[in-house]
Amino acid sequence: MTTAADGILRQITEIVARELAVPAESLAADTDLRAVEGADSVRLLRVVAKVEQTWDVELDDSDVFTVSSVAELAAVVREALQVKAA
Amino acid sequence: MSAPELPWAVLADYRCFGCSPHNPHGIGLEFDEHPEGLQTTFDLGRSYESYPGVVHGGLLGVVCDETMGNLIVVRTGLVAFTVSMRMRYLTPVATGRSYTCLARLGAGADAGSPLISATAEIIDADGVGVVTASATYRNVPFGTARERIALTSPEADRLHQALSTTPALSTTADGPATVEETL
Repeated sequence: MTTAADGILRQITEIVARELAVPAESLAADTDLRAVEGADSVRLLRVVAKVEQTWDVELDDSDVFTVSSVAELAAVVREALQVKAA
Repeated sequence: MSAPELPWAVLADYRCFGCSPHNPHGIGLEFDEHPEGLQTTFDLGRSYESYPGVVHGGLLGVVCDETMGNLIVVRTGLVAFTVSMRMRYLTPVATGRSYTCLARLGAGADAGSPLISATAEIIDADGVGVVTASATYRNVPFGTARERIALTSPEADRLHQALSTTPALSTTADGPATVEETL
């Protein structure tokens, strides 16, 4: 994994921790976001909104409602950044 | 925070649904400067609801579009037409409660580009985000805008003068920055 990808993963982990009010240390790349205590659809949408603001990208709803982990969300962001840069 | 002088104010009878004080059917938004952009605080009643007690999402689009569009106008001194806008609704917005919309400039604002992007965020009284929006606007020279806006000649002259004196980010000595005449 590249340094940039590591940075995206780390930042998303911090965003998820903040929005779901859980310690970042409790989140792994493959943690099921919907299984995190306190997670609900509104809070997960707030995660997505914050991610979009942070990287100035627009994520497809088909991705937003299917990603299940920090790693999957990071992959969607990397893809959006590549499209934006193209 | 100070209120910016909107150029439309020189038109005694402008009827913008979003920001005119002269439109009895409009929502009469008023704007204030914010360190990061432009903001408006609003409270929409039941005339603007969809489900009972919930503000219609289209109206929230109006709020975001108005805040972003006026931010671009007061920063560039150019008329901005919305090209595209995308909303993300995080949670229902309640009628009869106070919310604030903050718009920020995005790419293109400093380069004299005909396309400028902006983002907006609506937060509730506790500062929690409820709606986000992103949009692209096309800035057009007044001559081009004039062909698309219904104005009398005296009104057009007054508006042109007001836009020319808008303290713009990209204003040149000859007036607002030139943009490509592509429309």
